[in-house]
Amino acid sequence: MTMRGVSVIGVGMIPFGKYPERKLSDLGWPAVKAAIADARIEPRQIQAAYCGTALGGMMAGQRVLGRIGLTGIPITNVENACSSSSSAFRQGVMAIQTGQYDAVLVIGVEKLSKFGGGTLPLEKEDWEVSQGLSMPALYAMRAQRYMHDFGLTREQLALVSVKNRRHGSLNHDAQMRKPVTLDEVLMSRPIADPFTLLQCCPTGDGAAAAILCATSSARQFRSDPVQVIASDVTSGKYVTGFRDMTIPEITVRGAKEAYEEAGVGPRDIDVAEVHDAFSIAELLYYEAFGFCEHGAAGRFIESGATTFGGKIVVNPSGGLLAKGHPVGATGAAQVVEVVRQLRGEAGARQVKDAKIGLTHATGGGISGFDHGVCSIHIFAR
Amino acid sequence: MNTLSPIKPQASSLPGDALATDASGRPVLIGCICKSCGNRMFPFAPVCPVCMSEDVAREPMPREGALYSFTVVHVGPTTWEKPFAVGYVDLSNGVRVFSHLRGSELQIGQPVELAIAEIGKNAEGAAIITSVFQQEKA
Repeated sequence: MTMRGVSVIGVGMIPFGKYPERKLSDLGWPAVKAAIADARIEPRQIQAAYCGTALGGMMAGQRVLGRIGLTGIPITNVENACSSSSSAFRQGVMAIQTGQYDAVLVIGVEKLSKFGGGTLPLEKEDWEVSQGLSMPALYAMRAQRYMHDFGLTREQLALVSVKNRRHGSLNHDAQMRKPVTLDEVLMSRPIADPFTLLQCCPTGDGAAAAILCATSSARQFRSDPVQVIASDVTSGKYVTGFRDMTIPEITVRGAKEAYEEAGVGPRDIDVAEVHDAFSIAELLYYEAFGFCEHGAAGRFIESGATTFGGKIVVNPSGGLLAKGHPVGATGAAQVVEVVRQLRGEAGARQVKDAKIGLTHATGGGISGFDHGVCSIHIFAR
Repeated sequence: MNTLSPIKPQASSLPGDALATDASGRPVLIGCICKSCGNRMFPFAPVCPVCMSEDVAREPMPREGALYSFTVVHVGPTTWEKPFAVGYVDLSNGVRVFSHLRGSELQIGQPVELAIAEIGKNAEGAAIITSVFQQEKA
């Protein structure tokens, strides 16, 4: 079967933050309206919708779209933990690739403020969760082992937060707008060693949306469509024995698949939005995506390679650490950022002459998997 | 297995059949082995994730292992007495176990052994007494 090309013609989001007084549906519809306006599309031309949410409850897509009457079309809700809306995005891509639809909407929406703060509530039926595993503890064990094996210092680790908070200070949609110093990161309160508070993404609420259409008709809507040149979702491999926690196997495998599909390599990527839920994560992903060698991530961030003016700008939006991580909305918000970067609309945080960008969201802390899911998309202008 | 007696700890967070004592009265974790492909796991599972066989038999796990990684956690549910140390222990039979830990000088790679300890209180305020891995005494 010949697959049709897919392009993004519109994106929109609400600033991530805490909106305890707003319903999930009222977080979602403004992002959808913004994406529709951005795409210059008539709402009736949208033929299907895919909504990603992890903890938003049943029928999140219908609740959001009911508000603005975008109903009577197929609405499918997708739950895949922190990769919920990136997995929903993949569903939208496939629907257009195969010719099922010509234009679809993808939404990511989440309201974590309803839990009143603290670590992300995980599935209690899971063995390790029942024994005390939490997301900070899981990532902290990766960090400890990486520091042990490769001599990564606490300072190098904390640089991820310093960089991403600086990036986030340039993003009006970011939850954390205040830059922080290395000392502030290291002196913030301990969460799970070696992480201090500022090395953990904040909890919050948010929504983001994107409109996709067949590349062949994209210019009917906008002169600057952004093409989706790779769309990959995979699951982790269930293992009962040993695994190397310094190598995120699922992302290594997903990156290889995505690069192959796109016909590009790590040197071609100008901008990347990766899943920096905790400081160590971003360093592991430099290596998984081939931006630097295994074991070299600490020196790589220290060199300035991953900020503006560097070899590959990682998380110009501020990433999960600064932009925030309303889990089900994250994947869609990464798409918003990369599309804005490739269109040259990112203002003070614009990556110069960005032509190719990628998004990466992993999800799930469950026994036996390094992650439950990993979703990677590559975009080109 | 005949020499093992089940431990029924108060308010345990482990399933009742995951922990037992051996002939010397020492705690031992009960996992399983797949009779079809030989894959070992902890805790017990009714089906093998390698070959899908349901011919799975309970088996005691080695009491000693090496600490693969660990962290000291300062946040989380009120259940756990904070701060608390947790980690992955690699057993000599190839199984990795997630567990609470005990020891003042935990280090990656060090030998640890199974013990019983109180790790917190449940919602009713009863002590949770269960298995932990601790630094082997020199």
